[in-house]
Amino acid sequence: MAVQQELLQPAPDLARSGTMSRKRFFRSKIVPWLFILPIFSLHFIVVIVPSAQALYYSLTDWSGIGAAEFVGLENFRQLLLEDTTYRSALTNNAKWLLFFVTVPFAMALIAAQILAPVSRGAMIFRTALFIPYVLPSVINSNIWKNLLSPRMGIGAQLAERGIPGLDIAFLGRPDTALITIAFVDNWHFWGFLMVLFLTAMQGISKDLYDAAKIDGANRINEFLNVTIPGILPTLVFMMMLVAIWSFLVFDYVWILTQGGPANSSEVLGSYLYKQAFNRFEAGYASAIGLTMSVFAGLIIGLFGLLRKRGWEI
Amino acid sequence: MFGQRREASLFPNYVILILLLFFAIGPLIVLFFNSVKTSQELIVNPMGFPRTLRLANFVDAWNQGGFAQTARNSVFLVVTTVTLELILAGMAAYSLARLNPPGQGGFMLYMLVGSTLPVWLFLVPLLFLWIKLRLNNTLYGLTILYLAFNAPFATFLLRAFMVQIPRDFEDAARVDGANEIGVFTRVILPLVWPGFLTVGLVVGLGVWNEFQTALIFTSDPDLFPVALSYYKFTSRFGRDWTLTSSAAVMMIAPVLILFLALQRRFIAGLSQGGVKG
Amino acid sequence: MRKVSFIPVLLLLSLVFSACAAPVAAPTDEGPEKVTISFWYNPPSGGEGADCYEENIVIPFNEQSETIFVDAVAQPEAWNATRTAMAAGEGPDIVRTPGPSFVFELAQAGQLLPLDELVSSEGWDDLFVDWALSLGEVDGTVYSLADELETLVLYYNKTLFDEMGWSPPSTVAEMHELAAVIANNDIVPFAHANSEWRPANEWHVGEYLNHVAGPDRVYEALTGKIPWTHDDFVTSIELLNEAQQNGWFGGGLELYYTSTFDEVRGLLGSGAAAMNIEGTWTAADLDTLYFTEENGGNEWAWVPVPSQTGAPIYDIGMGNTSSINRNSEHPEAVAEFLSYSFSPESQALLLKNCGKAPAPVRLTEDAMEGVDPRIASIFIDLAAASDNGGYGYTTWTFWPPKSDVYIYEEIERVWSGDITTEEFLQGLDEIFQEELAAGAIPPIPDR
Repeated sequence: MAVQQELLQPAPDLARSGTMSRKRFFRSKIVPWLFILPIFSLHFIVVIVPSAQALYYSLTDWSGIGAAEFVGLENFRQLLLEDTTYRSALTNNAKWLLFFVTVPFAMALIAAQILAPVSRGAMIFRTALFIPYVLPSVINSNIWKNLLSPRMGIGAQLAERGIPGLDIAFLGRPDTALITIAFVDNWHFWGFLMVLFLTAMQGISKDLYDAAKIDGANRINEFLNVTIPGILPTLVFMMMLVAIWSFLVFDYVWILTQGGPANSSEVLGSYLYKQAFNRFEAGYASAIGLTMSVFAGLIIGLFGLLRKRGWEI
Repeated sequence: MFGQRREASLFPNYVILILLLFFAIGPLIVLFFNSVKTSQELIVNPMGFPRTLRLANFVDAWNQGGFAQTARNSVFLVVTTVTLELILAGMAAYSLARLNPPGQGGFMLYMLVGSTLPVWLFLVPLLFLWIKLRLNNTLYGLTILYLAFNAPFATFLLRAFMVQIPRDFEDAARVDGANEIGVFTRVILPLVWPGFLTVGLVVGLGVWNEFQTALIFTSDPDLFPVALSYYKFTSRFGRDWTLTSSAAVMMIAPVLILFLALQRRFIAGLSQGGVKG
Repeated sequence: MRKVSFIPVLLLLSLVFSACAAPVAAPTDEGPEKVTISFWYNPPSGGEGADCYEENIVIPFNEQSETIFVDAVAQPEAWNATRTAMAAGEGPDIVRTPGPSFVFELAQAGQLLPLDELVSSEGWDDLFVDWALSLGEVDGTVYSLADELETLVLYYNKTLFDEMGWSPPSTVAEMHELAAVIANNDIVPFAHANSEWRPANEWHVGEYLNHVAGPDRVYEALTGKIPWTHDDFVTSIELLNEAQQNGWFGGGLELYYTSTFDEVRGLLGSGAAAMNIEGTWTAADLDTLYFTEENGGNEWAWVPVPSQTGAPIYDIGMGNTSSINRNSEHPEAVAEFLSYSFSPESQALLLKNCGKAPAPVRLTEDAMEGVDPRIASIFIDLAAASDNGGYGYTTWTFWPPKSDVYIYEEIERVWSGDITTEEFLQGLDEIFQEELAAGAIPPIPDR
């Protein structure tokens, strides 16, 4: 299991200077694109073309069937100025983002730290903690829906055996529903992060740790001054991905609460779905979808800015 | 002596790890218990050990869920998607990592932005397009969709792998007169295959677990993927939870087996890629 | 390690080759002279329900017909798939929707075939009861046939009631009084829950509107004569809210939101819950799943859902509608299959063998033979009520789609205290009047 982290290096310029013959031009400018073209055209046809159509629909009053009536920016006006559900869904997405850029990262870092010195059974732990990540969201959600049932689930079983306090309807209370869904999604996700961090840590040179020890660093110093900088590229890149995904969340919310109770766990994804498929407001739904993409785009922009400023991402 | 003391100092680590292990695996054990109960027992005993062992649930779920057909369809989808994805994304990644196409930064940004579009946004127009192209209700049509959905991730990760390969190897091959394709197949490919394995597993998992697109783009039960078998036990308002659990066990079993068999290389692969953009 | 890891890959490859070898889309075995019509439907109740429909209707039809082959697909979320496909000008020959109010939009977009001619040539006007046929009208033209005539009743645990000396309530006041007594005995008054089906909320909203304000008031509101903000509706929703706030539904609002149907009906079966206001769809499962020996061997019975006056009211609902796709190449073949599946014989068979609620067709005398007498009597009483005006209106059948969604989503905000009953009804009225003006409301049978 060779880890070649140290081999990371940017792609140097292949096009050497000199007079550029036709053949040379073809080789250095056209051929590279021929390699990219197949996957690019597939992605463009499947994702971008229909999205452009959705962009048009976002400017219409359209039920999803039949003719679409052009209404200009009316959908966006309503969405941004009047729609209180949209606003609370957006707030929930923001909370979701906050949860996912902190909790799973903290869990994964700590667990990786705990697992790193262990040699006996290390692979078993690693694999086991990773397993929830390979399972489909529908199955994960349904398992947890049953486990979290206040009358039948773990909490109830514990209460029966004299450990009260957990037989709470976590998914049935407006104040806990969203964070419970996040908990379930995180159950499935954090192991993946941990494995990523763990392997990134193994790429850190031993010398750095030894040097830190000589400087009299304790374990916490070591963690902050050696480990974290060592895995920073992985850490920051995953943060960006997680932040982007935070705006797209749908599965777990939909299966666990459908945005309830009383809209308390509504997110943009579930709200879009409801508008499109329950209320037959496909035009309005398109407008919601586009704003989701804009928010995710802002995240990319933010990270792009950090990169420009010299962060290694 | 020293070894023993070392292990002893790791005792708290083991305690925490074992707790985490139960946290990760425990829910699956409950799922497995429920998959062998009778419907009547599940109502009175939803969490504990099964009192009766009704293995016939698996037979029922297999038959009623039509797993024989759906599993075959899903295997077909997984293998075609993974194979083509590795070839096409591999080509693009190679170009990005080595051939320095003009405007590559723009392309990477395009892919990144493309992955921010929620699928529900463009699903309906996409269906219109697919019907026009006569690709709806075909497994190939679904394969193309999955290829496109996974394209950004696969391209990014494979690129990250390829960037790490020392250039000396390729230069040597070029000196020997190999063309770009030759360099790719003879030098790059053998070196980055752990990366391909990783991407293949992640894409394959995604396809095996996928149901939302399949639900909209197929209406012929002969083409349904395995996730729809899992949904087969949904009634108008509720679910048959025993058969649902048995179906879930059958749906995740091959994934678990495959993952356990490949996990060493998979995890190694993930690390090597370092998921660096 | 390297060697081991190749085995699953090989295994996979061999599976793929086997998949390639088998034709991916298996052609039907039927002769080439048969026309094929496609039909997508939701599995009615559990996996067996889907098979049951297929065994009792589709297969016998295909066997007896020499010209038609019905390709029936039980599909989860069939309606979403249908709607999306219809939007693209495709979709199955037989178009099923979840209720009359969903037909409007498809008919308006010109996606459905007008059925007026077929109604007379196929004799559907004689087959269906009058009001049921008119429910399928949009702008005076019939576009759909109603299926699964359903209603809600109050099921109760008879063994428990006998033991405690309670008698089933007939007025809303009695019901609330009894619920308080039941709750004092640490028993859940109503086995209600919505975690598996959030729209279950609307069952209760509909019941309180029809049974407190009364069907006449609801009729007036549905036809636009009075607004939804009328005092009687305020009283209705406040009573419903009282029941929720008292924790009578499922043992408390939080439990209501997180319990599965199996869970609460299981409580009803064991006597840990006393009553359940629910639809006919659950009747067939009561004995087989919930009132089992394993669960205490109790017995169930039912009464009409209590009303303000005590007069029995049965709210009419339709689980489904069937229409013909405008793009169908064989509308006459579809009509033939519809006639077959809606025939009194077929409907009786479905009721008996699958526990499916029959379509609103004129059933023959012996249709109820072999059906649990308790279940049979629900349908007999419902039929009588629909003839003599003792009926009300379920939300999913008579309210237009957006109002319907509003009802089951926003009522939770009343229960959580976010909004008041008045605000809830105000919001409902706004959406409803908009849809009424657009003509999205199915014809309401006159009273």
